[in-house]
Amino acid sequence: MKRVEDHNIYILHTYPFKETSLIVEALSENFGRISLLAKGARRPRSLLRGYLQPFQMIQATWSNVSDLKTLYNVEWNSKYLGLKNQALICGFYMNELIMKLLPKDESSNVFFNFYHQQLEELSLNVGYESLLRLFELKLLEELGYKVNLDEDENGNPINPKKFYYYEAEYGASLPDVSTNGVKIIGQTLIDMHNNDYSHLNTLKQSKLLMRYLMRFYTGHDLVKSKELFLTNDR
Amino acid sequence: MSKVLNDLIESLKCLPGVGPKSATRMAYYLLQRDPDGAKNLANSILNSFKHLGKCKSCNNFCETAVCDLCSDNGRDNSVLCVIEMPTDLLMFEQTHSYNGLYYILMGRLSPLDGIGPKELAMNSLYERCKDENIKEVIIATNFTKEGDATSTFITELIKDLDKKISRIARGMPSGSEIEYTDTGTLAQAISERKNIN
Ligand SMILES: [Zn+2]
Repeated sequence: MKRVEDHNIYILHTYPFKETSLIVEALSENFGRISLLAKGARRPRSLLRGYLQPFQMIQATWSNVSDLKTLYNVEWNSKYLGLKNQALICGFYMNELIMKLLPKDESSNVFFNFYHQQLEELSLNVGYESLLRLFELKLLEELGYKVNLDEDENGNPINPKKFYYYEAEYGASLPDVSTNGVKIIGQTLIDMHNNDYSHLNTLKQSKLLMRYLMRFYTGHDLVKSKELFLTNDR
Repeated sequence: MSKVLNDLIESLKCLPGVGPKSATRMAYYLLQRDPDGAKNLANSILNSFKHLGKCKSCNNFCETAVCDLCSDNGRDNSVLCVIEMPTDLLMFEQTHSYNGLYYILMGRLSPLDGIGPKELAMNSLYERCKDENIKEVIIATNFTKEGDATSTFITELIKDLDKKISRIARGMPSGSEIEYTDTGTLAQAISERKNIN
């Protein structure tokens, strides 16, 4: 039996298991996405209950017996993030994509740290769109799908003034090579590569490109969290 | 095993938290120990489906088009309290501190469980809020992240209706001592503190 003590995790989602327990889906600092069994966590007076909420880093202690991980204890160890309003919905969107795409028990702490940083920025309530685009790109990168933004499929640098067609798995092509995928101006690809979303057109076009790519990689599975955005269509 | 008995066990498994073992135990209990209780249960379930509908005004289960609470003239029809479940209504009634009307969502938005605005019929809530008697909408969904997201969604949904929108307060439990309060509640209480002068 192995025991992991006081390890940083973020809850992604929980669902009921048997009468009083919970299955906890979490992103852990060093072990990637994991599932934990939280026995008795649904009892009204359970001490675990209040802590097993998403978007707040906690320290967890669990035991590993073969494939089953049992959660023993959680402790509060980070400042209160209190994601609100649209930031909260962005958080759900990120968690849903992680649950859909990231395989269990394999991930780097680079991605954990990135996720942690994303939530901190979300809690500051600025520029959700660019944070979501960055998140989508990093998640695809974590999964091993490289989204090439600084060169076309032949390895030539992107020309900011030219139109390209971006196709999943292939990358950007000039129209005389291929017209599959999403039509996009070179400047947008360069801005995305530099994580610069200050231009309105970059925001708009990057959203279209990422929507296309996320649809491709989720197998056209609906991302339910998107329905919660009312203010504008993300 | 008999097919009829097997069907009964399978049916019992639809109850939350009931697996094959408990379902088998329940089936034998109902058949052997309490046949009258079993018949009553079967009838009550059938009756509920025959006679129970949803109240047009609050979405709670009732036998009439509008439920007793909603048709009570003594209630203040200028405030509407939006809650997740019928049990929450009972809790608020026990406070003897709220005399307005309710709207029951029958759940909360939880995209990772596949529950979005359509599954909760949010458009019915919107229609209900259009009522010009209503001046204030109180959002009393749970203080889980799903409850908070539901609250955010409702706020956006009805903001063009020009109603006062409020969220029930949260913080330290009444009569509690700081020393014995859980860290999460305390963290949120200090971060969302209220001005008193
Ligand atoms: Zn009613």
